[in-house]
Amino acid sequence: MSSTEQKAGEGSTALPVIVTGIWKRFGSTDVVADLSFEVRPGEILGFLGPNGAGKTTTMRMILDIIRPDRGSISVFGRPPGVEHQGRTGYLPEERGLYRDVPAIDTLAYFGALRGLSLAAARRRARDLLTQVGLGDSLAKKAGELSRGMHQKAQLVATIINDPDLLIVDEPFQGLDPVNATMLKGLLLEQRDQGAAVVMSTHDMEDAQVLCDRILLIDKGRRLLYGTVSDIRRAFSDGAVEVVGRNLPTDTAALRSAMHVKTYDGTVRYLLHDGATAQDLFRELGEGQADVERFAVEAPNLAEIFIRTVAGDPRASRVA
Amino acid sequence: MSGAFSRLVLLVARRDYLRTVRRRGFVAGTLLLPASVVLVFAVSSLVSFDPTGGAAGPVLVVNESGVPLQVDPRLAPDVLLVSRDEAESRLADGSVAEFFVVPGAWSSQPNVRLVVGPEAGRSGPIEVVTRRQVAQAQVELLLRSSLLRAAGLPDSALGELLTPITFTSVTPDGEVVSDASVTAGFIVPYVFTLIFVLSIFITSGYLLQSVTEEKENRVVEIVLSSVPALPLMAGKVLGLGAAGLTQVAIWMTTAIVAIPLANQQFSIDVSVSPVTLALAMLFFCLGYLSYGAIFAAVGALAPGAREAQQYSSFFGFFAVIPLVFTPLFLTEPNSPIVWALALLPLTAPAAVLELLAVPGSSPLLVLASLISQLAFMAIAIFAAGRIFRATLLLYGTQPSVRRIVGALTGRA
Repeated sequence: MSSTEQKAGEGSTALPVIVTGIWKRFGSTDVVADLSFEVRPGEILGFLGPNGAGKTTTMRMILDIIRPDRGSISVFGRPPGVEHQGRTGYLPEERGLYRDVPAIDTLAYFGALRGLSLAAARRRARDLLTQVGLGDSLAKKAGELSRGMHQKAQLVATIINDPDLLIVDEPFQGLDPVNATMLKGLLLEQRDQGAAVVMSTHDMEDAQVLCDRILLIDKGRRLLYGTVSDIRRAFSDGAVEVVGRNLPTDTAALRSAMHVKTYDGTVRYLLHDGATAQDLFRELGEGQADVERFAVEAPNLAEIFIRTVAGDPRASRVA
Repeated sequence: MSGAFSRLVLLVARRDYLRTVRRRGFVAGTLLLPASVVLVFAVSSLVSFDPTGGAAGPVLVVNESGVPLQVDPRLAPDVLLVSRDEAESRLADGSVAEFFVVPGAWSSQPNVRLVVGPEAGRSGPIEVVTRRQVAQAQVELLLRSSLLRAAGLPDSALGELLTPITFTSVTPDGEVVSDASVTAGFIVPYVFTLIFVLSIFITSGYLLQSVTEEKENRVVEIVLSSVPALPLMAGKVLGLGAAGLTQVAIWMTTAIVAIPLANQQFSIDVSVSPVTLALAMLFFCLGYLSYGAIFAAVGALAPGAREAQQYSSFFGFFAVIPLVFTPLFLTEPNSPIVWALALLPLTAPAAVLELLAVPGSSPLLVLASLISQLAFMAIAIFAAGRIFRATLLLYGTQPSVRRIVGALTGRA
């Protein structure tokens, strides 16, 4: 049985995470308010939001580090608890290793806490450290490792138990480009093997490239939730950018477009409600236009993030 | 406790135990007592001699006074009367380290000179001083007996007059009791209990260090994602408590081996009763659990190691208060202050351990202190668990009083 099949099989009975209407209040502030979402096997869920939006608190609740005041969380079909900790991996935003202990000892300890026997955890730590190029530094204390080596060892700690659910909080923060690329590859590999990945990030480019679905929250409330393509489409305004010759610029001659604007050799058509890009394409063909480039305008995630947090009503289409 | 919980507690306990007992500081601290005992025995063996016996060689006396001196071997067995030339010659060849000169002005001026040679310091200061004390005692007896003899006192009366009188302490049943044992009988258990008190704070300090270290190294959140806060705290308390018990066990073994040897070496009769030992162990555990829980909460609350040390020293201040009142424990073990110290939770661990060393202390007070400490221990562990869980993830920030109160009442 391949590892993909194995993970899919283990997680087949229940979704890795189902969050239903959870609330968490610190002092007089609702840090998380009526939040619901789910995480499926074999996907990376991008968990986005401004600082203080409640992302870390939500992840800590999934991991049972703190408990919600209201609502429920299901991890592999059961409330979060120690029984799941063998199937989860966590890379917190604030992370480190015991400085005066050999890295392999720390990793073996973490592996044992995540359900492996001490001997198996030690073997796995040795293999993974060797795999990431730290085979010669097994006995080095964490305080003696370079920053880059330190980061690699932390990544190893996250996946030492080959988790089915991986929760990573700002995983690329502070990583050098080499380690960031390695971690991205590792997350994609875990996803391809069937693991569910929840990734909090402020880097919208990473989110757009890596994530299958996006959950954007602000002040603890869900603002966006869906696939990256659905969300981008929701914010496209029904606009299409066309480059070519003989392109009509009079809306009176077009059934599907309600507004036309020309700039830098590009014509931007704003579609009527209910009209599709295909309708426009067909009309342009009928009108003898010579189309060289036809693109549905879709803002990138960074723009969507800013618009959504600023209160753009289009967010409600994919909330 | 579920299987998963107990497994995690034991994993944390095992790690913290091994990590602590492998520290150089722990090894050095643990071996300090056995090493000190060995050193004391070694030094006492090296400098030991029979204080009532000879002076480790002849005591040469040169008489330049007009009083005739007559040596009585019963009173001054090592004294030899010699001429000045002979004394100087023997001093020069090193066969003696010094000699006494009774000057011409004696006995009108009660002063005797001690002529010391250049080699005198070779034997070590303690040996030299002790040898001279023995020699001076014999010379004094020589001079006084000679004066009395010159005054016409018969030899028989002289012997009776100058023979040292010995005193023997006995029980009403006639059993001989060593006077040294009376002092040592308190000092040994007292030192013993002080060691227990010390150990409580050393061990609680390890707990504080362990918690602050995990916060400062940013490891705590990774650990908490695997181990809930309460089993984490329980594991730490258990593991570091075991390290403390290891230390105490080594010290106790040292004491059990050393006390009979000390009795033999120093002619005393001291023992620490098994009941005292058992009670000391019990109060060690209670004291450690109470202070350990407080220190774990302090470690979770404090933004950094320095602040944690400062906060914990506040509690350490309470712990040493009973030591300040030691004279009162000795003279009035049933005074109200002693009772208060034995019943107040923060002073009780040290107070009750002191009480155990004092004969005549009230068993009722020891029992009341036990109940007080049991109750406080339960409250401390419960409260510390809540604070630990609520504040452990606060990095570099000082939790507000409101938050601490919220944690204690279960609202944070």
